[in-house]
Amino acid sequence: MDPQRETILGMTRRHFFGRAATGAGAVAIASLLGDDLSAVSATGGIPGVPHFAPKAKRVIYLFQSGGPSQLELYDYKPALERLARTELPDSIRKGQRLTGMTAAQTSFPVAPSLFEFAQHGRSGAWMSELVPHLAEIADELCFIKSMHTEAINHDPALTFFQTGAQLAGRPSIGAWLSYGLGTESSELPAFVVMTSKGSGQPEGGQPLYDRLWGSGFLAGRYQGVKFRSAGDPVLYLSNPDGFSSAARRRYLDDLAKLNQIKLEDTGDPEIETRIAQYEMAFRMQTSVPDLTDLSSEPDSVFDMYGPDARKPGTYAANCLLARRLAERGVRFIQLFHRGWDQHAKLPEEISLQSRDVDQPSAALVKDLKQRGLLEDTLVVWGGEFGRAVYSQGKLTDTDYGRDHHPRCFTIWMAGGGVMPGITHGATDDYGYNITENPVHVHDLHATMLHLLGIDHKKLTYKYQGRNHRLTDVHGEVVESVLA
Amino acid sequence: MFKAYRAAIAPLWLAASLPLPATAATVDFHRDVRPILSDNCFACHGNDESKNRSGLRLDTPDGPSADLGGRFGVVPGEVERSEVYKRISSDDVRRRMPPSSSGASKLSPDEIETIRLWIDQGAEGGGHWAFETPTRPELPEVDGEDWARNPIDFFILDRLSVESLEPSPTAPRETLIRRVSLDLTGLPPTPAEVDAFLADDSADAYEKLVDRLLESPRYGERMAIRWLDAARYADTNGYETDAERYQWRWRDWVIDAFNNNMPFDQFTIEQIAGDMLPNATLEQKIASGFNRNHRQTGEGGTIPEEYAVEYVADRVDTTSTVWLGLSMSCARCHDHKYDPISQKDFYRFFAYFNNVPERGMAFKYGNSPPMIVAPTRAQQAMLSAHDRELAAAQKRFELLADKAEAEQRKWERKLAQGGPVDWTMPDRRLTYFTLDTEDGEASAVDGRVPIEEGVIGRAASFDGKGFLDAGEVAHVDFEDKFTLSAWVKPERLDGAILSKARDVERGTGYGVYLKNGKVQVNLVWQWIERCIRIETQEPIPQGDWAHVLVTYDGSRLAKGLKIYLDGREAEPNVLHDQMTQHFATKEPFRIGAGNGQRFYGLIDDVRAYSYPLSPDEVAILASSAPLNAIAARPAAERSRGERDKLRLAFLHQNAPKKIRETWADTFELRKQRDAMVDSFPTVMVMAERPQRKQTHVLVRGAYDAPGEAVEPGVPAALPPLPTGASNDRLGLAQWLVDRSNPLTSRVTVNRFWQMFFGTGLVKTAEDFGSQGEPPANRELLDWLAVEFVDQGWDTKGIVKTIVTSATYRQSSKARPELRVKDPENRLLARGPRFRLPAEAVRDQALALAGLLVEKQGGPSVKPYQPAGLWTELGGTKGYEVDSGENLYRRSLYTFWKRTVPPPSMLSFDSAGREACTVRAVRTNTPLQALNLMNDVAYLEMSRRLAERMIREGGENAQDRLAWGFRAATARRPGEDESGVLASSLAHFRDHFASDPDAAERYLRQGESPRDQSIPPTELAAYTSVASLILNLDETITKE
Repeated sequence: MDPQRETILGMTRRHFFGRAATGAGAVAIASLLGDDLSAVSATGGIPGVPHFAPKAKRVIYLFQSGGPSQLELYDYKPALERLARTELPDSIRKGQRLTGMTAAQTSFPVAPSLFEFAQHGRSGAWMSELVPHLAEIADELCFIKSMHTEAINHDPALTFFQTGAQLAGRPSIGAWLSYGLGTESSELPAFVVMTSKGSGQPEGGQPLYDRLWGSGFLAGRYQGVKFRSAGDPVLYLSNPDGFSSAARRRYLDDLAKLNQIKLEDTGDPEIETRIAQYEMAFRMQTSVPDLTDLSSEPDSVFDMYGPDARKPGTYAANCLLARRLAERGVRFIQLFHRGWDQHAKLPEEISLQSRDVDQPSAALVKDLKQRGLLEDTLVVWGGEFGRAVYSQGKLTDTDYGRDHHPRCFTIWMAGGGVMPGITHGATDDYGYNITENPVHVHDLHATMLHLLGIDHKKLTYKYQGRNHRLTDVHGEVVESVLA
Repeated sequence: MFKAYRAAIAPLWLAASLPLPATAATVDFHRDVRPILSDNCFACHGNDESKNRSGLRLDTPDGPSADLGGRFGVVPGEVERSEVYKRISSDDVRRRMPPSSSGASKLSPDEIETIRLWIDQGAEGGGHWAFETPTRPELPEVDGEDWARNPIDFFILDRLSVESLEPSPTAPRETLIRRVSLDLTGLPPTPAEVDAFLADDSADAYEKLVDRLLESPRYGERMAIRWLDAARYADTNGYETDAERYQWRWRDWVIDAFNNNMPFDQFTIEQIAGDMLPNATLEQKIASGFNRNHRQTGEGGTIPEEYAVEYVADRVDTTSTVWLGLSMSCARCHDHKYDPISQKDFYRFFAYFNNVPERGMAFKYGNSPPMIVAPTRAQQAMLSAHDRELAAAQKRFELLADKAEAEQRKWERKLAQGGPVDWTMPDRRLTYFTLDTEDGEASAVDGRVPIEEGVIGRAASFDGKGFLDAGEVAHVDFEDKFTLSAWVKPERLDGAILSKARDVERGTGYGVYLKNGKVQVNLVWQWIERCIRIETQEPIPQGDWAHVLVTYDGSRLAKGLKIYLDGREAEPNVLHDQMTQHFATKEPFRIGAGNGQRFYGLIDDVRAYSYPLSPDEVAILASSAPLNAIAARPAAERSRGERDKLRLAFLHQNAPKKIRETWADTFELRKQRDAMVDSFPTVMVMAERPQRKQTHVLVRGAYDAPGEAVEPGVPAALPPLPTGASNDRLGLAQWLVDRSNPLTSRVTVNRFWQMFFGTGLVKTAEDFGSQGEPPANRELLDWLAVEFVDQGWDTKGIVKTIVTSATYRQSSKARPELRVKDPENRLLARGPRFRLPAEAVRDQALALAGLLVEKQGGPSVKPYQPAGLWTELGGTKGYEVDSGENLYRRSLYTFWKRTVPPPSMLSFDSAGREACTVRAVRTNTPLQALNLMNDVAYLEMSRRLAERMIREGGENAQDRLAWGFRAATARRPGEDESGVLASSLAHFRDHFASDPDAAERYLRQGESPRDQSIPPTELAAYTSVASLILNLDETITKE
């Protein structure tokens, strides 16, 4: 008998499940049909990746969807006080394009932040009163105040930040990582996504799209799995009412027997994979509810993340879940918090948004640190663009709005090989243009991949005749933020 | 030809899986050499000259041997003088090609050896194979001709003989009927159909089966779905809010076209340029919707010019991928690196699609122009019937016309002598305020609104402070048709006449205002980006009565808005014209106020209607004289409006019964006709601007960096437009299907092949360019391509040829040596075995459950989907699960929201429909397992299959289990399989018997009622086994 066939057919069921129990993901990925069949190693991921020793093993990306205003949160601009209500000079605007919402405004009055700033920590980072908890961990954070992007509206900007291209069709960051690095967990997906709604825009604000965690032209198995706060945490996870876990076990044993008979008859390795995937599904039925059940967390943890952490589906609860996912070896965990699109009523809305995220974001960093996870977990906090210094709509003493601003905005990173307590990049007195060290979205992607041990130029996938990568043909690692 | 082929070394695409020594004699340039050059060298030594420093071109026939100042890339037969060989084999990193600085690694020893052999053998080169028009290859001489059934098999056998492989025997009949039924109709055969086929021992039993399946209307549905993937068809607009659009009439056109076996050339021409055909029919215009299926944005802030470019680029990309198997988008920013497509070629191709009268900022909700009303055939028939009825009613009325005339004169005489009487066109009136009394229908706010002498009775008097709040009436929105009307006598030239809008400056809502005496109409969602504003060019007089009337046709365009002054249409100035979304508010209807403005002067007789009044009707409203006063005047002194007003008042209210009723018949029928036409679906289609829009090369592909102006044209490396073809989109369509086009037929038959064998002969179905995979069997591909054209682009014909081949009919069992030599089954020494596509997984289960509702076409439906999937991402309202038969329609009718696609389709690898997808992808994941085991849809189907097993499967458990198993797999279970099924049933019988309550709960899945005649514990046990059957690898696999 042919040795390869013997290997496939010779396995007893016990052997099979024994193997599946320790590495079903591996079995699955190795034997999936796909263009990259020969390129995918037995443990998932691509041979030779990571390209060098990684600083971070995983990423928690706290995406703030809608475009949080850097001017109210992190980018302190004292000069705006005296410039208040003056027209944004052409020397600053430089004829740069504006969105269709304000392009036809006849006046562009400068609106300073209504919120106070102060310096925090040994690093002396300027942060506003909206983020008191984050201010406490200022020395853990690495601010990039010179982020910039190309898109000026949500859909293309979100898509650009998540996939490196403004139009749909490319894989998301997490999909690239699953493709390149494979999975660490045999019970959980490599890439998990959670969403929450912002208090600032209770009607929802800007929507999200599945493509933001999609796999684009990569195989579907690399797409992010959305963990949901209502209903099944993973779609179709629960057995139906009246069908116990014991019943499911017996059912799966019978199913495996029948599939095994077919495997022996046809010799198609897909069947072997299918059997393993049903076993993985069974394990997920236990591991996912264990993960999402927060009842074992002590009160002190809830105190740290804040009262919202007890409410499923909130940003706070998702931050706590993110820590639990990180502990269980999930490679890329991405939270999306909606509601940061403050075209009007900015002071009121941004206060509520900040209250949603300030304490839990800070708690997550602290929690990771006290568990020793921060050093190999990269935390990223930021949105798809920033907001403009001039007021959209009427500027009053207590109210204003801000339109989208792609030319400069602030994000921060922590942990995972990033230099803590520094600020990289700077903007002009108006907070309108970058004055030093611009960091493009592609640069951020290159840097994130670098921290994970990946040369962004070498993680490629051939599609439509071209070797594609997350950073397209761009991207420079931002060396000075590396620890 | 085939002899050389036979002797060739193992093609490189199989090198990984077929470890044959590369010692054989002849290297084939296209198959073996060009892919190496393309992959490693073309980036600098290819079509994009900007990167080429040495001048050496390796992508052209003469390039390699060109004299580059005494040095030659290639000297045929002289390896040592060939720079290419020296460089690729060099150990000096600084000299070696490809350069390490480009991140490339050294070529493999096999690759270097292939290049060496090629040069040694004379370096015969050439252009890219796929750009050469295919010719019909001769059938190779093969052994085993008795196995072969048609020419396909000769090419397959020839290829197998190179590897010393034998084909597989024919699959069992049960397997065959299931395979071909799923392939041609997307649905499994019924047990009765299996029985009939097994019993048919005629020689052409299989051919008859294929013919039957090709004639089934299910065939069109099956073929359509892959076309929908390619055409990025969906039910939403695809960006940001991702609201609904209505493009299903185009989808239904595709189904019909496949079912009617429309020749593929016609299929092509109508979809690319159906709108430009002479005397284009409605169906041909609908077909052109193909290139309106792309995503469109209505996101606030969008810069229209930017997206206007994206839409055209999408058309180029989709059209070139679907017909030419080329990704032209690579040439959008710079010359294509691998294929002979320059950036200029891209924009010349772009120009064909750049002449659509469209806007970059599309409507956020619904279809965007250009679009047409596209009634279905049933609706067209309904309308014709209605029109016949209307004509008959009109005839009946005409017979009474003389009598009516006389009666009206009688009535008028009486009227003239009586007291004041009026009549006010009550039909479809949304609201009406006479403003004759102070404590009337509307309440005064911010002060008193006294009543004074008016134009009709009395009128309300406004002092710039007080206004009337009429409550929640005249609620209309951006897709509604309506009319607003009032008499005004302004004391000042600025103010608000009426509104239903937020009472702040620029507030959301609609309103009619005076601006410097000009009548201005605002429809506002968000100032200034999403609103329409028009105003009359001429002012109305201050201090005089004027009749102001506004009509809107629901088109969301400024041109759909009209202002009439004193019964005559006024010339407008369009100030804003970008109304992409809803403007309805919950604000009250205000008279004399709106958007923070007030009115000074008198307002009388305020009305709103739910349709745009015709000019004749407008004239009636602008006639203030009451009926009796009009009647008192001689006919010659009556205005047209007055005459019509009298006549309508008579016919509606005052005519003798017979006349009145006959008139009412015609009136009602006309109204019904309007409603009918309003209910017809629309579809977005292609159209041409009256004056061609100039296209420019866009520098670096950027919308705001126009460069050189270009005219439409096809890529220079491909044949020119056919003689006599116009240089426009129609000419392009004809070019795509011209015999000289080397790509269209190859690309098309390759996709058919992919449908049935899982992988195309060219695996990269989307890329036939230099970087695509060379065909696994070029002669076969070319034979199919030429045959397809020679047979008149007969789609059913070529499909039949494929599925009746011996190759297709082979058993799919993987013999041990094939598992090793050809794990991906590219040589086809066995039949195809792969998981069903997403929609077939579900459709098959619906059929097995007896739930499938086979209704063809119509608006998309919303079957089961977990709650909250749409709302948790925001955007639009939640997904509302349908009920009844819409739960059980075939999956190609499932509502497709692009940003949140149906999860059970996506988890089984369906295309996302955001962009053109032509390559099939299959994965195998735990999420699929969870979906099939726990989704309410599959639980309901399991229960229904269980009921069928019990009802139809026979008397005892063994028969019933075998029946269910056979329904799903078309074969009877083996003994070992029966044993497992029986043991499972026995286990679950015990299980549920011990917990009857659990059985009850387990059965409570889905909307359809359960068969009460079956004891719940028994049904639950069978349901568990039925679910097992639906989850079998074999069930969800075509084998």
